[in-house]
This record gives sequence, C-alpha cells and structure tokens, in this order.
Amino acid sequence: MSLLTVRDLSVQYGTVQGGVLAVDRVDLTINRGEFVGLAGESGCGKTTLAMSIPNLLPKYASIVSGSVEFEGKDIATFSESELNTLRWKDVSVIFQGALNALNPVQRIGDQIAEPILIHEPGTSHDEAWRRACELLEAVGIPSARAKSYPHEFSGGMRQRVMIAMSLACKPKLVIADEPITALDVMTQAQILDLLRELSTSFDLSLLLISHDLSVLAETCDRVQVMYAGRAAEAGTASEVFGAGNAAHPYTRRLLNSYPNINGERVFIDGIPGYPPDLSQPQIGCRFAARCSEAIDVCRTSEPDLVAISATHSVACHLAGKSVTHG
Amino acid sequence: MDSNQPTLEVTNLVVEYSAKSRSGRGVEVARAVDGVNLSIASGETLAIVGESGSGKSSIANAIMRLIDVADGSISLEGQNLLDLNGAQLRTARRNFQMIFQDPFESLDPRRTVLDTVIESIAIAGIASSHEDQKALALQALENVGLIPAERVGERYTYQLSGGQRQRVAIAAAMVLKPRLLVADEPVSMLDVSLRAGILRLMQQMSEQLGVATLFITHDLSLAWMYADRIAVVYLGRVVEEASAAELITSPQHPYTKALVSVIPVPEVSTHDKRIVLTGEIPNPTDIPAGCRFRPRCPKFRELGEPDVCATLDPKLKSTDNHYVACHFAGQ
Repeated sequence: MSLLTVRDLSVQYGTVQGGVLAVDRVDLTINRGEFVGLAGESGCGKTTLAMSIPNLLPKYASIVSGSVEFEGKDIATFSESELNTLRWKDVSVIFQGALNALNPVQRIGDQIAEPILIHEPGTSHDEAWRRACELLEAVGIPSARAKSYPHEFSGGMRQRVMIAMSLACKPKLVIADEPITALDVMTQAQILDLLRELSTSFDLSLLLISHDLSVLAETCDRVQVMYAGRAAEAGTASEVFGAGNAAHPYTRRLLNSYPNINGERVFIDGIPGYPPDLSQPQIGCRFAARCSEAIDVCRTSEPDLVAISATHSVACHLAGKSVTHG
Repeated sequence: MDSNQPTLEVTNLVVEYSAKSRSGRGVEVARAVDGVNLSIASGETLAIVGESGSGKSSIANAIMRLIDVADGSISLEGQNLLDLNGAQLRTARRNFQMIFQDPFESLDPRRTVLDTVIESIAIAGIASSHEDQKALALQALENVGLIPAERVGERYTYQLSGGQRQRVAIAAAMVLKPRLLVADEPVSMLDVSLRAGILRLMQQMSEQLGVATLFITHDLSLAWMYADRIAVVYLGRVVEEASAAELITSPQHPYTKALVSVIPVPEVSTHDKRIVLTGEIPNPTDIPAGCRFRPRCPKFRELGEPDVCATLDPKLKSTDNHYVACHFAGQ
C-alpha cells in the first residue's frame, strides 16, 4: 500500500487580480521507503504541491479540490489540531533556505529537542536532549557539538542539523525542498549519501524537490516533472532519465539544459520563452508555446496524463507516436 | 605590444583578510589567495572552479581591484593594475568589466534599464553628448536581445526577470568593449532553462570583441562546457590547470579526481566510481603544513601517509600544458 496518495489536487492562490491555480489537478504517489523527486522550473508548482501535503501553505493559498491520503486518511480535510499531530511525527519538512532557518541564539541540541518536547508530551528534557545527541551522531556530527550555536557551523553542517531535526519525531515521510541547492558539489554528494543512508536506517520515504534534474536522476526511485502547475511526466528514474527515454518534450529540453560530462562537449540548449502566466486561462497544452514539436491539436486541447507503461505516464499529445524531427 | 603577450597575467597573487582571533585577543590573518598565477589570452576563457572558501571570488575581486592585494601583480595588456591610483584606475576600468552572480543586487532598482547602460558609458567617458550615449546604449540593449530596446529601456530594473537583468548587466559591461570580462557565477541564480541563452550571449560577444574571460564557477560541468581551460583552486591555490576537456577526462590531482567523480549528470548512473571526500575545506587562518589538501586526501592515505606530503608544499608542475600540484600526480 502506498504511504501517500495525492489525487486530483488543485491549490489556488488568491491575488488582487483573482485566483491563480498554482497546482492544477495533480496526482502524486509515494510508496513506503521510496525516494520520489519533484522537478521543474521556478513557479511550476513543485513546492506548492509538496507543502499542501502537511498543509503548510501560506494564508492566501488553499486546497480547492482533490484529496491527500496519508496511510489511508484524507489529511486535506484535517483540522489544524489534527494536522499538528501529523506534522513532525508522520510528515516532516526540510525547508528551502534551511541554512538560515535555524535560530541563531539557541543551542542546536535544544533546537532538535524542541519538536520532541512539544510533540511527545511527557518526555523529560534530559531524554529529549539525549535523543538530540543521537540524531546528531546519526547525521555525522559529534554529539559534543549539541551545545554549539548555528553560526559555529558551516553550510553543510547546518544542513545536517536541519536533517537531524526533521528526523526528531521519527516521521514516515520527509519532504526536502531544495535541500542541497546552496551547497558545494562535494557537500551535496555528502548530504545525498546521508539521506540515502538515513532512509534505510530510519525507514523513511522521501519527497525531494529540486530544480536540478541531474541531482534527482542520481538520487530518486521515481520522478515527477511539473510544468505550469500540471504534471508533465512521471515515471521511474530510468524511464524519465534513461538515455532517450524521456517522453515529454519539456523533460527532454530540461535534460538538454545540463552539460553531460559523459557525453559530447557541446553547448547546452536552453528552453526559449517563459512559462505561461497562470492568472490567465490556459488553452491547450501549457508547454505548446515553447515546444518545437507542437502541432495544431497542442494549441487547442489540453493533453491528459496517460500511462505509457505500468509506471510511466506523460501528458503530451505526441507521446507514443513516432515523431520525425526535421 | 608583443602579440604573444596574454591579455591578463596574474603573478603570485596573495589576498589576506584579517579577523579577530577566536580567543578574542589579537588578530588572525586568513590567506584567502596564496600565490596564484594565471594567464588568459585574447578571446580565451579560463574557468576558475572551486568550493566555497576556496578563494575563487577573492581572485576575481582582486583582479577587479575591488579588494586589497597583499602581494603579486595583475597585468592587463602589460599594465600592472596594482600601480594605478584613483583617477588612473577609473579610466582603466572600462578595459576590465565584471558580471556579478546576483542580478537582483548588482543593478540599482531605481534606475531605468537605459539609464543603467548610459551610466556605464558616461563613467567610462566613451561618448560625450547625451545623444551619442543614448544611441550607444540602445544599440547595446539590442545586442543582448532586449528588444524593442526603446521600450525595454524605459522599464526599471526591478521590473525585469533575473535573466533579463543579467542581460542588462552584460550590455552595460560589453558596451565598453573591455579587454577582460570577469564573470562571477553569472548564471547560478537563473533557472536552468535560461542559462544557455545568457552563456551563449556572453560567448558571442566575447568572440566578437576578442575579450579574455575569467569565468568563476563552482559548477565543474558548466566550466567544462564553456571554458577553454579550467583552473581548480583549493584553499587559495591552483592545484590543477589544463584544457577543459583534458581536465575532465584525465584529472591528475586527487582533489580534481574527487570533484569530477561527484559531478551530477542528467542520466541514471551508478555510484560505484564516486569519491566522496569527508570533511570540508580547512580554515584559511590555519593552512595545513606541506600539501594543503593532505588532511582530506584519499591518495595520501592510500600511499601510507608519505612524509613528503606533510613536509613539502607541492609546486604546480606542467607536462604538456597540464599543471598539477601533487607529489604523486599521475601515480
């Protein structure tokens, strides 16, 4: 059974000009122990989709339709107090910009112990501190450093602290929003290795949000590529990132936006134009205006996400048809 | 001028920062750049690659004369930039221009796009009348694809997207026809889909004008794609320098080997060949004796911790234009 099933979810932001559907009828499944990646450019809805799981959306955003089932319960309908029992203990979040998310005037041991004391009433302070020390050791920081303050740590070490904190109440699902974006490549590799190790030792599922497809390709079991609030493509890592496998033109263009040192030394391709303005009504495929393969039907009718294998689905009118490139 | 003379020649560059020591008593000196030599020919691009704390941005800022230099020389077409005083430096600045990482910070939000470019022209003094300045600026905006230039020029820089802002920065730099362009992480803040456009633009303009480019990046695969040569810096030193293709296909320094092994690639890969270093770059107030990479070096441990690595600072030595600073390079 899947741990998390998001069905047909739409999230609307209220703006002065009217509503914007940042996430528009999107599905997402995460199985136990699975690493799932969410990819796409800024503004494609990946963070909104992820934050609607523990309902950590900003005040001006709301879930307008769909369901978020966690272990069979629809948590999209949960009240704030019900959500508070879910957050940290079932679902925890490593926020984007986590390097600045720690309290600068509190010892890191206390910061890690805090969610334990709040979410597990009855735990003594000593017990919570002891667990904080164990968590630090688990993320590769000597427990003696529990007494240190955040400014005494480098960026990579602070990210380890954030990871330790996300594990404080033994969640089943961790949502990591761009957890390695501001880090150096060697530190990125260290953090990704750590997440992989922890997923086994803590029996975790992980939703990894990244604009960097190459990071997702190396880390995730499955990936979902988002574009303009819709899912463009979803599949296993090899179905989406394996040579020549990507089924959506947007995925292919994104993949060609990265240099590949295993391939030929050629200039990367970008994607011309910008994602559409979602405050305007969308007609046809949202990627059509930037797609070099678009045909007439793409401009008039919106493609559904359809399965092309048991695990691989794509929202493109041309998918599965052989397209001859001119 | 000697036609073989490189456009930029940096010799034994040293940059130091002083900070209060952790004990609170006295001052500690951090050597952010510790004897760096670089040379870039006209039309050539050299990438400097390193982790944060490696000193790569200090090298860029020193060359731009934005920070003080403790030692060494920076020669642009034969002129030592370190000899220039205030007024001379202002005149010379049109010859060496910089593109910054964050176009949200580097452009004045209260200025229009056109005024931003005109200001650059006015400071350099390359056109006297306002009409000439305006005509040059409009042409510059068109050259970077901000069209129609008249219309885009009227907008304020805060109204533009990151990619458009970086185009304005390129226009303001390139309109001066500099001899040297220093680009410090010019695309790292941009969406991947926009990076190619900005880099292609930089490349086209550099080629047209025969500009020498210093490309600072933490992204080894981007350096590989964009630059002619790559210099890898570690704790204030160049530890390896070679042509971009060669540095990636046959890295010689254990640090470069590790960096290359962890480059993420946009395809499903196995992790068996990765060399993940433990720890982080040491503090530049306390540079390890001997080889500065020794405390993290897998080769040092593999070879049974030879004494020479702990006692002798390896020099950058070349074989066929491939420079490596390691006692055991190639072994």
